Amino acid sequence: MSGLLAPLALAGLVALPVIVAFYMLRLRRRDVPVGSTFLWQQLVRDIEANAPWQRLRFSWLLLLQLLIALLVVLAATRPFGTHASELAANVVLVVDTSASMGAVDGDGPRIDAARAAARDVIARLPENGRVTVVAADDSAHVLEAETTDRSAALAAIERVAATQLPGDLTDAFALASALAARDADSTVVVVTDATADRLPPVGIGAPVVVERVGETDANQAVSALSVARRSGGAQLDLFVAVTNHASADVTRRLEIYADGALVDARDLAIPAQQRSEAIVSTVPPATSVVEARLAGDDALAVDDRAYAIVPSADLVRTLLVSDGSAYLENALALLPRLELYEVSAAGYEAALSEAADAATPYDLFVFDGFVPDAAPATAALYVGPTADGPFGTVGDAVEAPGIAPTDPNDPLLRYVDFSTVHIGRASDVTLASGMRAVVSTSGGRPLVAFGRVANAAAALLSFDVGESDLPLQVAFPLLVSNLADALVPVGDGVLPPSVRLGESLAVEVDPSLASVQLVDTPSDGATRTTDLALTGGRVTLPPPNAVGVRELWDPGTDGAAVRLGRTAVNLFSADESDVAPGDPRRITEMGSPAPAQGNSDNVARAEWFWPLTLLALLLLIAEWVLFHRPTRRSVGRVLGHRAAPPPATRVAGRGR
Amino acid sequence: MTLTERPALFDEAFLRRLEALELASRRLTAGRMKGERRSVRRGQSVEFADYRNYAAGDDLRQLDWNVYARLERLFVKLFVEEEDVTVHVLVDASLSMDFGSPNKLDFARRAAGALAYLGLAHLDRVSVAFLGDGHATPLRPLRGKSRVFEVFDFLSTPRRERLTGLAAAVREYAARLRGLGPHILVSDLMDPGYLDALRDLAGTRCQLSVLHVLAPDELDPDVAPDARLVDRETGQPVDVSGDDDLVDRYRTRLAEWQAEIGSFVTRRGGSYVAVPTDIDLADLLFDVLRRRRVVE
Repeated sequence: MSGLLAPLALAGLVALPVIVAFYMLRLRRRDVPVGSTFLWQQLVRDIEANAPWQRLRFSWLLLLQLLIALLVVLAATRPFGTHASELAANVVLVVDTSASMGAVDGDGPRIDAARAAARDVIARLPENGRVTVVAADDSAHVLEAETTDRSAALAAIERVAATQLPGDLTDAFALASALAARDADSTVVVVTDATADRLPPVGIGAPVVVERVGETDANQAVSALSVARRSGGAQLDLFVAVTNHASADVTRRLEIYADGALVDARDLAIPAQQRSEAIVSTVPPATSVVEARLAGDDALAVDDRAYAIVPSADLVRTLLVSDGSAYLENALALLPRLELYEVSAAGYEAALSEAADAATPYDLFVFDGFVPDAAPATAALYVGPTADGPFGTVGDAVEAPGIAPTDPNDPLLRYVDFSTVHIGRASDVTLASGMRAVVSTSGGRPLVAFGRVANAAAALLSFDVGESDLPLQVAFPLLVSNLADALVPVGDGVLPPSVRLGESLAVEVDPSLASVQLVDTPSDGATRTTDLALTGGRVTLPPPNAVGVRELWDPGTDGAAVRLGRTAVNLFSADESDVAPGDPRRITEMGSPAPAQGNSDNVARAEWFWPLTLLALLLLIAEWVLFHRPTRRSVGRVLGHRAAPPPATRVAGRGR
Repeated sequence: MTLTERPALFDEAFLRRLEALELASRRLTAGRMKGERRSVRRGQSVEFADYRNYAAGDDLRQLDWNVYARLERLFVKLFVEEEDVTVHVLVDASLSMDFGSPNKLDFARRAAGALAYLGLAHLDRVSVAFLGDGHATPLRPLRGKSRVFEVFDFLSTPRRERLTGLAAAVREYAARLRGLGPHILVSDLMDPGYLDALRDLAGTRCQLSVLHVLAPDELDPDVAPDARLVDRETGQPVDVSGDDDLVDRYRTRLAEWQAEIGSFVTRRGGSYVAVPTDIDLADLLFDVLRRRRVVE
């Protein structure tokens, strides 16, 4: 079967008689003066014809030009043939645009190969097939929805660009699943390098085809960067880890920049699939932003740079209100930035008065089995509360509660394993508005909770740590550290010290502000400023999409802007930095089995545009060559002699 | 003034080489003055010609006393008279000659100058004339090598003729002919009356040499695919499509034309030399024209 996609282009055939007419019209010739036309007049006999038309004569040029015009018109009509398609009538084309797709393989950028593969999918679409083009980074972005217009789909593919965001195909598969649910004849085509992008827990009801792109694994990444003050803040220690994801040992040069100035450089020998770490102590203490940079090139550039915000040298005045808890006391004392004070519940009010008198208020309160009548205006951690508090209301005790699985990605539970924790008794707390459960019982009651209540951060352990084996495990000091960091953020101002790409963030600022400015300074581009409106002193920052430094500013009323906070934006994703193409079966198995007979009812179009255009181009070249074909004389000039002896006499004579 | 002070046409070395040549004049004609050419008259040379009977008044020094001793009759020895001839050099100065690279008219001026110098160097009278617009513009006949500069000056005069009118110009020149001698026509013959002109020149019963001057562009034209050839003389256009076939046909026609002219001239005892303007003038004079016996 065949046909024309643009039959109206056949109107272009009117060009054929026009070309013929041009050949019948007399040419506007170029005047060439000659000594005499005495001999030429005897050769040319039609000079006396002054009519605008002349008899049509056979000409190879005419023939070629007619063929070229015919081919161009045919190509413009977009003729096509059909063949059986392996794709369904409804195709969801998911193009992975996560950070790893920004890698550069031996034959060019990986995203270019992805676009080419996507275009190939469009070319293989069955006739009247619909396609939805989805770009997937850490979420799904529909670039073209269920279109039968291949040009629109191709234009959407051209808009696909690699991001610096971690990969997460969850949204894309959810979208594909929804689309496939509307049409049983659906196929999901994923163009990806099949690195360890996050996948949804359940599959979808349509076959999944993976078009894998990518070749190289030669990539190294700055996989960790942290900075800590030592010696009372007089010295900065920088911890850097560089991971070699390649299958060969490499040596990379690590450069450390302090506020943009190079302060250290060293070569790191990194074995294959291993990481090397370095502690740098040469960063000046007055530094505010530290950058670690891998010099040279590798497959992925975005992970060759990382930033860290130097923490403030100020200590957090912390008041532990407890009748004696060695576990809590030890865990809090381990945190270097806390200046820990301890009072009994009875001495709480006096301690508050004393601090107020000395104008040295506490930044953090830890209430162990005690809930004050008046909630403090600053952050507070409530441990084993026995009475209602700002965190919620305390009900009956829950004996030996089971612990529900926890979210490993919750920053409050970083490095904390609750699977081996046993709790003897906990309080059944109903959380106040603004609080969320971080760890719950198997019955859904909160064991660990965090939130903001009355404009102050609050955390809750609904059980007495002494009635659990938590303090005996490594998880306890880590949990206390995470909670302390969340309650009194370590970062510069209102922002945490670092955020990951694609991670949105809600921050509290002065409620009197009407708006704030978000200033992103990516490592490889110009500074971007975004004005954000405030709602009751709370603002949700859009997810950062480039490695760099992000700042939040109060624009001020008199032009004197005040920086409210600063944070570092890093990739720090081993999945994205490991750019080696992965096993596509992991993704393919997300779909249902493909029909055994294939989609034999679907026929794909094979357009003949390019072959026709190519043929027209070849004929055009032939026409040009024919028009400018070398005469024997010009050949003779090139060769330095006459190609054929002329019949005319150059030097001759007749003598007696 | 020496010859070297007149660099216009030739250098002195070239002129000295020219003096070794002589214009061929195979037909005997009567001259006006004593010269180096054999004349139809009998005269005072050392070359014996004939006897005749003694008549009263004959110079007794011319009697052949040996014959008288044997036959006892008086005979007078006759000797060949050597007189001058008039060399006629006719240069076509029409616009069609002002074409080509090298320019045909420039080449014709130089060739005519060299031939005229040949005549002057051998005590011949030389008459140089431009032909154009149906008229002949001659320089008065000159004799003697010292007059060569007048010839050169005349040949260097810019010409304003437009059309050839070759037949009419030749006829006018022949009608005013003074002194017989070889006629040398330097022309491209691109004129419909070229045969009439040649016929008139041959009718003077003088030695005729035709130097058919053609530019390389005319011998081997390179015509654009679609061109309008405009005649420099008449302005008449000819539309051509300059493919190889047309160029081949042109060359064939040119060869036929040259053969036709050559045959016409040869049948009338003349010499025909096709001369491309890119030929070296020395080669033309010392080689080509010598082989064609235009010069000796």
